[in-house]
Amino acid sequence: MNILQSISIGVQRRFGRQRLRKIFLGSIPFAVIIFAWFMNGYMGWFPPVFIPPIGEVWASFFLLQEDCPGIGAIVALDQRCLMSTHILSSLSRVILAAVIGLPAGIALGIVAGMSRPISKFLEPIGIFANSISGIAWIPLAIVWFGVGWKTTLFILLNTIFWLLFFNSMMCVRTVSRVYEQSVLTMGGSRWAVIRDVFLPGAMPSIITGIRLALGFGWRALIAAEMVGGDSGLGFMIFSSAAEFRMEEVFLGVIIISLIFLATDRYLLAPLEKWTILRWGLIWKPT
Amino acid sequence: MPAKLVVTDLTHHYPDEYTGESVHALEKINLEVNEGELVTVVGPSGCGKSTLLNILAGLLPYREGNASMDGVKIQGPSSERGVVFQEQAILPWRSVAKNIGHGLELKGVPRGEREKRVSEFIKLVGLVGFEDKFPHELSGGMKQRCAVARTLCADPAVMLMDEPFAAVDAQTRITLQEELNRIAIATKKTILFITHSVDEAAFLGDRCFVFTARPGRLREIVNIDIPREKRIWADMNNDPRFIEARDKIMRLVREEVLVSNA
Ligand SMILES: Nc1ncnc2c1ncn2[C@@H]1O[C@H](COP(=O)(O)OP(=O)(O)O)[C@@H](O)[C@H]1O
Ligand SMILES: [Mg+2]
Repeated sequence: MNILQSISIGVQRRFGRQRLRKIFLGSIPFAVIIFAWFMNGYMGWFPPVFIPPIGEVWASFFLLQEDCPGIGAIVALDQRCLMSTHILSSLSRVILAAVIGLPAGIALGIVAGMSRPISKFLEPIGIFANSISGIAWIPLAIVWFGVGWKTTLFILLNTIFWLLFFNSMMCVRTVSRVYEQSVLTMGGSRWAVIRDVFLPGAMPSIITGIRLALGFGWRALIAAEMVGGDSGLGFMIFSSAAEFRMEEVFLGVIIISLIFLATDRYLLAPLEKWTILRWGLIWKPT
Repeated sequence: MPAKLVVTDLTHHYPDEYTGESVHALEKINLEVNEGELVTVVGPSGCGKSTLLNILAGLLPYREGNASMDGVKIQGPSSERGVVFQEQAILPWRSVAKNIGHGLELKGVPRGEREKRVSEFIKLVGLVGFEDKFPHELSGGMKQRCAVARTLCADPAVMLMDEPFAAVDAQTRITLQEELNRIAIATKKTILFITHSVDEAAFLGDRCFVFTARPGRLREIVNIDIPREKRIWADMNNDPRFIEARDKIMRLVREEVLVSNA
């Protein structure tokens, strides 16, 4: 056995064959895009104003962060640390909105799904609120809250909350009643039914809801930052485009996608793995 | 022996909000189940057996007639009346051990005590080694055992069982029936057991209630005087008491099925 073979076997042992394969297959489309982008630099299919060279986009990340004095300034969202300030302000808005909006949407959705009076009370306003897409609220929010983080947070919360509310409410009603009855005939309270039946039973929809909410939430946030924000990745994309700094526009788009990819990979996928996949509520394609 | 469950003149109609015609499920049912007794209920499919069970469990509100336990009208579910449902009601998101210990958890029994009782029941229903598996990793028969243990472990005074072994294969069913018989001896619980299998009804019941076609009425009560300790499948086919009871139940059910198909 030569050295290459033993390295390959070692790597497979360490990371798992299946996982390596998944990572490899998943990377192919990205590799194709990056290759084409690279080739564009040499062949000049599209001029740099349309598609800036890959190296410039990479360099702009460091250029934007160039004047940053240190960690303290990064955390303080100092204007000199432009890159990290844009990333952190978008990220912190999403996290804040998720921390408030997800549990509130799930809790109220479950309660509305279970109780006829509460659903009668909340469903019409929910349908009304949902019919207006998140970004349609932007003009109104600017009037109410002005340009800045309040407007972006409002847009985000509005998007995340109603999506989760609806998904949880509908899914609660698909959970087999026999589970509820089983808990009730063992002396369980309403609260026990929520905790032990409806919350886990609605989990497939809740996870889908979180996926949708974060997806729509990010998009709404970017839009809100463009129109009604004064910082964040959306703001950066918009203001850079106005000054034809295309490498920064590209950078912003790429960073958004990477953050989103990471959320899915390191937050949602493990959540899925340890709940609904483990319970056999969904299956894994082979 | 005092009567544990008493049903008097119980009638039930299901309203149908689409057609406006209601379904007449039960008609003037009168029956009693004594303390420590295992009664079986048979009747043509759709005759209202599950309806009766749901009313006794307190899960289905009723207006006409009365159903009571220990002289108290049944008006809602209670941990005194455990149910093994027709559709398997083990929670997919709980492991076998956590499903079985659920009732104790809901009662606030401390963890140590709970684990001890759970492991007893796991042994009783032969699921040793599967404590940490989730329901989707079990076979049909194992799920059914888990469902029975889940209800038993909560220690209800009365067990209401709705065709619990209908969905398992013939071999497993025989084992489960003998196991339930052992459990009945060991725990002396009051059990109402619904089935569509005549053999099962005769094997398990101290008495068997035969229902008519819908609307369900109590057609006849068949006594089966075989001591519990003697109820083993290997001996049953030579036991004249079993054969007599089975044939009688079979004849009654046949007649009712013919009526319901007519
Ligand atoms: N939730 C329900 N709504 C309306 N009709 C029902 C409902 N449950 C049962 N029924 C009707 O009542 C009759 C008795 O049903 P059921 O008690 O389930 O019968 P069994 O368990 O003896 O097969 C059937 O005709 C059935 O269609
Ligand atoms: Mg039934």
